Amino acid sequence: MNEPYRYIGKATQRNDAVGIVTGTVQYLNDVKFKNLLYAKVLRSPHPHALIKNIDKSKAENLKGVKAILTWENVPDWKGGTPGVTRILGRRLRFVGDVVALIAATSEEIAKEASSLIDVEYEILPAVFDEEEAVKPGAPQLYDEFPGNIVTPGFPIFGPKCLTAIAMGDMDKGFAEAEVIVEGTCGYANIPNPIPPEPPGAVALWEEPSRVTIWVSNQAPHVDRMTLSEIFGHEVEIFTHGHPVGGSFGTKIITWQVQAFATLLSRATGRPVKIIYTKEEHIAAFVLRPSSKMHARVGMKKDGTVTAVSGKWLVGTGHYSMTSQAQLAVGLGEVQIMTRCANWDLQTDIICTNRNASGSVRGFGGQELKCAFIPILSRAMAQLNLDPFEFIKKNYIKPGEGYFWRDGNWYIYRGIDYSEAMDKGAERFGWKEKWRGWLQPSAQKGSLRSGVGVGVHGNADIGEDTSEAYVRLSTEGTVTLITSLTEHGTGQRSNYVKMIGEVLQLPLERIFISASDSVIAPFDFGPVGSRGTYAIGSAAISAAEDAKRQLFQLAAPILGANVEDLETVDGLIFAKGKPEQCIPWIATGHDRTIMGYGRFDPDYTLANCMTTFVEVEVDTETGKVTLQNVVNATDVGQIIDPPGLEGQLNGCLGSSGIDSAIFEETIIDPTTGHILNANLIDYKWRTFSELPEIDNVVLETPISSHRFRAIGVGEVATSPGPSAILMAVSNAIGTWLHEYPVTPERVLAALNKVKSQEHAGGAL
Amino acid sequence: MRSFSHLNARTVSEAIAALVQFDGRARLNAGGTELFGALKDEFLPEYPEAVINIKSIKGLEYIKEEKGHLRIGALTKLSVLSESRLLRERYGALAEAAHAVAGPQIRNVATIGGNLCQDVRCCYYRYPRHIGGPINCARKGNGPCLAVNGDNRNHAIFAGRKCFAVCPSDTAVALALYDAQLVVVGPQGERQIAVRDFYTPIENLLQRTEIVREILIPAVTGTVTQSFSKFALRTPIDFAIVSVASLITLEDGICTDARIVLGAVAHNPHRALEAEEFLRGCRLDVEVSRQAGEFAIREAKPLSKNAFKIQIAKTLVSRAIFGQPAGFVLKGNFSETTSSTQMCSGKH
Repeated sequence: MNEPYRYIGKATQRNDAVGIVTGTVQYLNDVKFKNLLYAKVLRSPHPHALIKNIDKSKAENLKGVKAILTWENVPDWKGGTPGVTRILGRRLRFVGDVVALIAATSEEIAKEASSLIDVEYEILPAVFDEEEAVKPGAPQLYDEFPGNIVTPGFPIFGPKCLTAIAMGDMDKGFAEAEVIVEGTCGYANIPNPIPPEPPGAVALWEEPSRVTIWVSNQAPHVDRMTLSEIFGHEVEIFTHGHPVGGSFGTKIITWQVQAFATLLSRATGRPVKIIYTKEEHIAAFVLRPSSKMHARVGMKKDGTVTAVSGKWLVGTGHYSMTSQAQLAVGLGEVQIMTRCANWDLQTDIICTNRNASGSVRGFGGQELKCAFIPILSRAMAQLNLDPFEFIKKNYIKPGEGYFWRDGNWYIYRGIDYSEAMDKGAERFGWKEKWRGWLQPSAQKGSLRSGVGVGVHGNADIGEDTSEAYVRLSTEGTVTLITSLTEHGTGQRSNYVKMIGEVLQLPLERIFISASDSVIAPFDFGPVGSRGTYAIGSAAISAAEDAKRQLFQLAAPILGANVEDLETVDGLIFAKGKPEQCIPWIATGHDRTIMGYGRFDPDYTLANCMTTFVEVEVDTETGKVTLQNVVNATDVGQIIDPPGLEGQLNGCLGSSGIDSAIFEETIIDPTTGHILNANLIDYKWRTFSELPEIDNVVLETPISSHRFRAIGVGEVATSPGPSAILMAVSNAIGTWLHEYPVTPERVLAALNKVKSQEHAGGAL
Repeated sequence: MRSFSHLNARTVSEAIAALVQFDGRARLNAGGTELFGALKDEFLPEYPEAVINIKSIKGLEYIKEEKGHLRIGALTKLSVLSESRLLRERYGALAEAAHAVAGPQIRNVATIGGNLCQDVRCCYYRYPRHIGGPINCARKGNGPCLAVNGDNRNHAIFAGRKCFAVCPSDTAVALALYDAQLVVVGPQGERQIAVRDFYTPIENLLQRTEIVREILIPAVTGTVTQSFSKFALRTPIDFAIVSVASLITLEDGICTDARIVLGAVAHNPHRALEAEEFLRGCRLDVEVSRQAGEFAIREAKPLSKNAFKIQIAKTLVSRAIFGQPAGFVLKGNFSETTSSTQMCSGKH
């Protein structure tokens, strides 16, 4: 049994709830600025070109135009990993790349001005396919990346950053195998999470070298840190965060948008706002990385994986900011899912002439597993192994180890998820529905049902650092000072709950600061799945620190030892003597008590999500309908039940399960245009087509922070896509190996249509 | 969106006068659900100088029976059509087609005239101006059709020529089934155009100074079963990948007349004449419906990525004639007496 708590594990109202439902929350685009200018971007019509000449005279003469920037009149600021991509370059690398920036007194004028700029291009040959891009003679995107292979390694992860998994003895591993399969599979449909609020920024430059930026990102300190590398450390950068209208992992880095506003403000001396349209959001912001894997897998009859060798190709589009990080985390995650002593998995990150891939929830692991699990499935099928039993056997158990992103080996000390998996299987009815590989679970007329299961877990729940201040005012109120923005999950309210629990104070008396990088301490932000454990730990320890300071002041007054004191509802007393109490203010009305908390990385714990799906396939039309989903996890301790449910129910969209059903970014194979940059042609599930979702949540206390929680974080979206591929394959009795399972692919697999071309992999 | 003049027309004549005044460089706004997306994306070579609001015209919202015809005012909302008892009982395929358009919010403002006159959904044609400029194409008269060698999964499988975009209107499919006419008014007066002839490969026949005033449907008589079914990725809101409307006359279980129209497979609602011919005189059963499906797609010539539409079209035709909707296809189930499913199962 877990401890009885006052707030933890109970449904409490989010502190932004009234604001959200009454429309008074101030998102970035709601904030009013005096003297504001509006920015628009002129974008490249070509996937690869050099700007030969730009004539902006007509546009400059348009009344209301205040600045037009091109590669010729901006500093040589560069971003990316490594930093080789200019904010405004002469060389354009995708359809939609930035040619010019315009600031004007209205959006309409800025847009009109963009159509008055005459640009002469030298068109360069372009390459869109990763495998073509690495061939000799392929068009080259950067001098710095010969063969279009991006420099490996993510500097923040240290000099040993994971770029491959190499361990054990491959010969021995394959010799021990009872079956060896080899195959290729891709998760190459580069879905787009498309949070409702598009990316944006407002910047005000003040001479000589200070810029204040109002952002709509998860972590203002990460914005400051990223921009400082780009602008140079002599530029003083202040960032102010706002509530984020959804992120799904994409709004951790928005440096281009922020740099556009900064450059235009620097050119005009006025605040400049840029908010992307939905079309720009889809065509020129962040896509999921493309993933293709060729692998050879050795397996024993009991489901032991004896060896994995192969190559994982990650497509990053026209440049990389975080792909190396995603690759490193993905390599760690695949080991958490697959116990195996012998690995030789090599990688490459490849750039091509399309919109860039970047940070998206599922960060690397989803991309790798969506390609890897279908290959593992072939081996399981040959051995007639139940994939659920395989997952349960191979998912990491306490005492086992893995290389994590920094290249170091860690021993897992977390939860054994077998029980959560069993409970999920029971709820789903896996034993009754699983009829063997390529066997439908039910059929009626032209309809075939099929089941699939997937798993995902991540040791990033303790990644990176967090800091927090908790300030006590002795009249009995508390303020959490944090740089975190509310990115939609309700975590800011959850830290208030944690602090309320530590200080035993009514939640109405706990306030939370605006998020900024000016006063609030550093936080890496709610990336990965670190919200509950990493960020929560910082808030809890700041509250404990503040409480300790308070007790040090109160102890002499009460004539008690610090360690004997308690506080409830703003009163302090010695344990067991609540009648002899003093209010906080007895320690002095003229005082600030500032607690400080910090979390340092811990890669020895991981979360886990097992997702079961059942689909129904119409074999005469190819339509795939998701019937029901069961998510099973163990969170250590629930912090907020409705928040957790929301997180679990988020498994479908934002390029999760639905990226296996209909979500995909469609790129013209010859011109490189993204053809579905709108919410009619980009397929997002509507509310009227929601399947049944059932969640199984266990609470096994774990040695993490005070509340013994680990959270669930980002992992709800990740196990689903490969489970769908498995389920549809089982339903129709033939293997599918491409995402999404469109009617075209299903009918082609059933030989009911002559597929005109074969893209992607073949097993 | 760019600036434009905005006029409210109170009568059809005022609307035509305004169209003439702007010499065709004006667009009519009936419901606006398609128009404003087009204006925002600025994908057409010319931008209208004016938007003429015709919602302000009174008396163009009606469904009435008259002299053996059904008359529908061009400004009648799709939601009204889909809920009309008269339509549900006698013109069920049209009620279902209207219901199959988009979601309820759209149907509450979109009109049948607008649904028939809407522009195509081709992803090349509609590519937005502000992401690198619009894409030139055959339909715009300034380039080749990129869909031919590009992503043509949603394009025509019949009679493509120059432009391979398909007619996106669901109601046009049902109206073609009934041999409906559009009553079109312009400065030279009034004319009638069959819905079936209204769409050419690169445009529709409405002149820039004309307005659709009314839809005229000949009475449906005899013992007929009707259906409209639509296959889309997202049933509640998407444009059709393939749709099928059917009208079958049965006497003692024998098909004496059949009309079958396919939607989203060609620039126009595509009449499956061979299938119709085949069905006449047949006793309807599973095998006959399967063969009818084969006849319906015999002339199909798919592009590189849309052959799957043939299989879907075949299935929809078979199911429209005889078979179960299988749970996925939005299919008409109009009333006790005209449901095709019921009649067929009764005879078999």
